[in-house]
Amino acid sequence: MSTLPTTTNPPLVCWNCHERTVGTHFCPGCGKVLQLPQQSDYFAMLELPRKLWLEMSVLEHKFLQLSWKLHPDNFVNASQEEREISLKRSSELNDAYRTLRDPIARVEYLLAVEGARKEGENKQQAPPELLEEVFELNESLDELRDAKASGGDTASLKQRLEAAEKNFEQKLAEVDGRLQATAREWDKAIDDNADEAARKQVMAKLNELLNRRSYIRNLVVNVRKELL
Amino acid sequence: MGRIVGIDLGTTNSLVAYLDPQSGAPKCVPGPSGSTLCPSIVSLDPDGSIIVGEPARRRLLTQPERTIYSVKRLMGRGPSDIQSELKLFPFRVDPSSDHVIRVRLGRKVFTPPEISSFILRELKNWAEAYFNEAVDRAVITVPAYFNDAQRQATKDAGRLAGLEVLRLVNEPTAAALAYGLHEKQRGKVAVYDLGGGTFDISVLKLISTSEGDIYQVLSTNGDTHLGGDDIDNLLQAFAHEEILATDQIDFSPHGELAQELRRELIAVKHRLSQADSVTLRFPLPNGKVFVHEFTRGALEALIRPVVDRTMVPVRQALGDARLKPTEMDEVVLVGGATRTPLIRRTVQEFFDRKPHTELNPDEVVALGAAVQANILDRGVRNMLLLDVTPLSLGIETYGGAVAKLIPRNSTIPAGAQELYTTGVDNQTGIDIHVLQGERELAKDCRSLARFTLRVPPAPAGLPRIEVKFLIDANGILQAGAKDIRTGEERSIEVQPSYGLNDNDIERMLEESIEYAEQDFAERQTIEAKTEAETILKATAKALANPNAASLSQPERVKIEVTTAALQDAMEGSDYKLIRKQIDELNRATGHLAELLMNSAVQTALEGKKLGEV
Repeated sequence: MSTLPTTTNPPLVCWNCHERTVGTHFCPGCGKVLQLPQQSDYFAMLELPRKLWLEMSVLEHKFLQLSWKLHPDNFVNASQEEREISLKRSSELNDAYRTLRDPIARVEYLLAVEGARKEGENKQQAPPELLEEVFELNESLDELRDAKASGGDTASLKQRLEAAEKNFEQKLAEVDGRLQATAREWDKAIDDNADEAARKQVMAKLNELLNRRSYIRNLVVNVRKELL
Repeated sequence: MGRIVGIDLGTTNSLVAYLDPQSGAPKCVPGPSGSTLCPSIVSLDPDGSIIVGEPARRRLLTQPERTIYSVKRLMGRGPSDIQSELKLFPFRVDPSSDHVIRVRLGRKVFTPPEISSFILRELKNWAEAYFNEAVDRAVITVPAYFNDAQRQATKDAGRLAGLEVLRLVNEPTAAALAYGLHEKQRGKVAVYDLGGGTFDISVLKLISTSEGDIYQVLSTNGDTHLGGDDIDNLLQAFAHEEILATDQIDFSPHGELAQELRRELIAVKHRLSQADSVTLRFPLPNGKVFVHEFTRGALEALIRPVVDRTMVPVRQALGDARLKPTEMDEVVLVGGATRTPLIRRTVQEFFDRKPHTELNPDEVVALGAAVQANILDRGVRNMLLLDVTPLSLGIETYGGAVAKLIPRNSTIPAGAQELYTTGVDNQTGIDIHVLQGERELAKDCRSLARFTLRVPPAPAGLPRIEVKFLIDANGILQAGAKDIRTGEERSIEVQPSYGLNDNDIERMLEESIEYAEQDFAERQTIEAKTEAETILKATAKALANPNAASLSQPERVKIEVTTAALQDAMEGSDYKLIRKQIDELNRATGHLAELLMNSAVQTALEGKKLGEV
């Protein structure tokens, strides 16, 4: 591990030819690779609208096309400064592709750049309508741990937990379905040029679904761990 | 700038390769013996010089305490990591080892990067002798599953050997590059790479685009302590037990007899790749001979656990790429150990596909490194390698848990940032612990580095420091910090948990001069000047010989002019110019040499009968 070189803030003018620039990736004046402007985001970087439904082949094509241009391999003989910019730009491109490729990470990222991502006040708190089932699940988990520790019979407990795991996996699939539907709502709001209040409403819904998803997912992971 | 080469720095053997401009194909450079394999063995001669390769292998038997093999197993590791290795390998670890291991050779102590640098320097010399040109840059391959410290140690070794390491390339990816060029493969490719000490599996997608071919790694997995060595260790342990049982002789694993037995057992293993049974006859110190018939079946039963261990990472890598074994279009075998029939069979059954073995499994990684070296050197734009980081990167959080920032199998370069603030008023530092690995607790992951983020005194929660982590195209981590409120960027002083810091390297670079041969150009210049002096002396002497009187005037003038030109060239340090002038003078003195030769022959024959000549 080494120390990252310090760089100046991304400028509004090209670091090389000092012209004001409007290019996304390369200076239209001198052709040098540009630092990403501060306000840029993953959607803009890949020249995509801020929508949640993405054609995977289009995303991959954009990613590969930009990889050809931005990858550090292209800058081995360039100046130290240009090499560092290329390294940064290339990592941002890879981070963007990794994030947008994953449908859940994509929603999280969209909400983050829109300033609408709020994680649950208390991540440990169950959504009200799940309280009863979660309570039962935790009880079974405790019993299983006790049985394991005392060498007691675990077979029937495991069976019960497996059933509970299936139940929560199904709930996870439901949440994913609702996320997809709400994502389509978002895209429609963009297409219809809906007002800010309407957009905020969709985003709040997406945010709530993400929190619920992460809660259920944690439950499932914990159960799987105990069942191993 | 000198030439660039691709180097496979292996556990058992190392190779150097280049891209032949005529054929456009990569080729391995042969060493003095004609073989392209340089055994990764280093010996310290009692006179202080370093011996590498085949000559060092012979010293494994005669001077085992001054000789070391499989040093790659120690790269980037700490003393506590290698306790299990010490039972099986005759490493003499010095008590002075702390964050980096120090190994004793004779009376001297070396770090693993220094020992590796001797191997790299030997390969550099091979290539320089072959090209008759300086070599100063290299692409070096590393196991895909190497962590940050192991990669950094390899890069340090390159630097200590006087090489600018333009890129570290993962071994299976390099192999895919060599095969891709050779076979024009497309689609999804699995590379199964079992080397001397490491195992890697990589799943790649080969994509043809209008700009050229992209080699995109989808996932990688492996075990940096699983290899052909483990098979040899099993064989050795088996033979030791047998000999103990039948002859009551207890082999110390460090002794020279154990080394000799190991060599014989490796030969048996190699022969069993073809033969069904091989009988070992090994003379024992008590005058008896240990005789044992090894069958292929018995060998396979013995090594099956090693082969089974490789299949765990294989399944994990396919799972990460979300692919089934039968979805692979091609499977490639790399590494000497994949010559073992059991491995070929196991891989073929798992993927339901005959694996590729067309390219020499010992050479293919070096060949791929040469391809990548050429891409970087010439700015070749019709091929692009997109590799991944093998291990998740994380930071320690409250309660010793790990928060993952960059997941494994992320395309590199990859980055992540984390926002930090203070917990108490006027807190001036935030401790950050960076880790690599898949486990949930910090104590189960690999510690990469710890550092303290300096914070200006302020009420708790007010400072906002963003720490940026960046894994570069070599898979090596860099870190930087930025004060969000002021926008000020600051560098971070990082103390690696395992490995050399900058001061260590500086000191070693100074020390390495002791072992380093002179710079190639310097060496060439010295040799050329010595040769020039010899020819100038000979010319002066010849001109003074009475027999030179019959030279024509133009011939004399020509000799004088070329002599002056050579003397001029010797003032400088351009060895090519000196050699050119030596050739000129040789041509100019051709007739003179003939005259002297004839008279010398006459003198020699005078008074002798023909039969005595």
